[in-house]
Amino acid sequence: MVRGRSTARIERTQSAVSYAILLAFALFVIFPFYWMIITSFKGEVQMRSLVSMFWPSPFVSENYDHLLAKTEFASWYQNSIIVAVSSTFLATAVGTLGAYALARLKFLGRAFMASTVLITYLVPPSILFIPLYAQIRNLGLADSLTGLIVAYPSFTVPFVTWLLMGYFESIPVELEESAMIDGATRFGAFRRVILPLAAPGLLASALYAFTQAWNEFLYALVFITNVKLRTLPVGLSTFITGDVYGWGYLMAGAVLTTLPVIAAYIYLQKYMVEGLTAGSVKG
Amino acid sequence: MATPAAQLRAKAALIQPRSGLEATLKRVLGPDYRMGFLFVAPIVLLVLALVAYPFCYAVYLSLTRKYVGMPPVFVGLENYIRLTYDGFFQRAVINSFVFTFASVAIKTVLGMGMALVLTSKIRFRSFWTGVLLIPWVAPTVVSALNFLWIYDYSLGVLNYLLVNVFGILKQGVGWLSEPGTAMASVIGVNVWRGFPFFGISFLAGMKAIPGELYEAAAVDGATVLQRFRYVTLPGIRNIVMIVLLLSTIWTFNDFAIIYILTKGGPGGATQVLPVLTYEIAFGAQRLGEAIAVALYMLPALAFVIIVLSNYMRRGRAR
Repeated sequence: MVRGRSTARIERTQSAVSYAILLAFALFVIFPFYWMIITSFKGEVQMRSLVSMFWPSPFVSENYDHLLAKTEFASWYQNSIIVAVSSTFLATAVGTLGAYALARLKFLGRAFMASTVLITYLVPPSILFIPLYAQIRNLGLADSLTGLIVAYPSFTVPFVTWLLMGYFESIPVELEESAMIDGATRFGAFRRVILPLAAPGLLASALYAFTQAWNEFLYALVFITNVKLRTLPVGLSTFITGDVYGWGYLMAGAVLTTLPVIAAYIYLQKYMVEGLTAGSVKG
Repeated sequence: MATPAAQLRAKAALIQPRSGLEATLKRVLGPDYRMGFLFVAPIVLLVLALVAYPFCYAVYLSLTRKYVGMPPVFVGLENYIRLTYDGFFQRAVINSFVFTFASVAIKTVLGMGMALVLTSKIRFRSFWTGVLLIPWVAPTVVSALNFLWIYDYSLGVLNYLLVNVFGILKQGVGWLSEPGTAMASVIGVNVWRGFPFFGISFLAGMKAIPGELYEAAAVDGATVLQRFRYVTLPGIRNIVMIVLLLSTIWTFNDFAIIYILTKGGPGGATQVLPVLTYEIAFGAQRLGEAIAVALYMLPALAFVIIVLSNYMRRGRAR
């Protein structure tokens, strides 16, 4: 009786500690986003005189108006969508075929290519961006969105392929074998049996590829000089002026840049968390 | 003992008489070589064009004196030798190591805390997990800009909180403009962005540990700490290694956070190799030297990549 009560007390204390730590983590994580959002709704006077610090009063839309009317933000948004969507399609298509072959088919060089894909994924962009830029320029693709669409598979394809290899390996081989005994060709089994089963994995990896391309900064900074052709991360970074006024519309731009990835993430959180753990660091 | 797959293959061999070129090709190149080569071809092309060739070209350029718009002149190891004795470069190397090791260490501790809290008895677990992962999903540039604004000397909220709300400091701090605080401030941003990845990976590892192990340990009278030390840690060792090495590579090569927050300043106090590479290449326009900066740590990087890829493949094989 006495023992039971003390155990209950220990459990209560434990869960109180858990919630306290959890809350601290959540505050730490959320605060910068909260700050970004309320800044985007503050007027210049509110910011300059440090009034209505933690809740804008009144909420104003002047930052968003300025952003859309007086800057190239809308073009940058369009550019980011074009680049991210194209490279996502490219990466998912190439990665799906490659991952299936590397996970399932028997052919000369399979193990070597599987290792190469993994190593390629681990090579950081910071040692590739100069020669890649030289190459893009030689192809006449410098200062164009096509140049970025061509370059982004250098990191999206190895990642998607590695992720999907794990996914395909987790689908039982027997499903394909029985389809083939029933008369399907290897390709037919892939298309009608394996692809539908792998759909959640495809969706998660496409989402990753999209996020990576949407967030990419270094290549976009180096390859693009035309102001109108910038992508969002590079465009936003050019809003740093040192003046107070810039922060309002910079944060408005930051909010609008974050929205698509957060929306996609909320929609697909379950897949992403599973994909993140099952695909990239299963161990 | 013939497995079903082997029986199937034997049957297939009976139906298709082994004869001529096709049979030889299948024997040499593997039974699925047609579809295999076809499916892998795009990746091979991409890797050759976008990674292998640029990488080789980078190694070559680092051995030349190359200015933008001029043909390269071969100079052997001159760039590397000069860098070795260059004080500014040496400082960037030290900064890169400080930035990387401090960030990775703090992320490991926070990530472990996050994973332990998320495995304890709490309600709405997936909601909390989702919230804590947000920094990892948000664009790095946006996060860097958020912190640039938070750290702002005169109007930033960090100084406002410390001076006006909590009264801890009498006067604000120039977080990014003073050599004493700049490095810690950029490390803070990298930690904020990166620790959720540690947390979620450790969490996955902990979930995979069979519950009986904990029950057995509890029956043997193990304390909470002992259970963590002797059941949890060995159970997630592989994942910890993978995450540590992966994050070491990413952090060492992090460009956006430092470029946006300090551009390596003040006075080189946060200068790291990727930002230095960029500045020598596109500020000073000395491409050969810039690539030598980027490749200087290649032997160490190659070592980490090989060890890491072995861990990751082993993780898959199980």
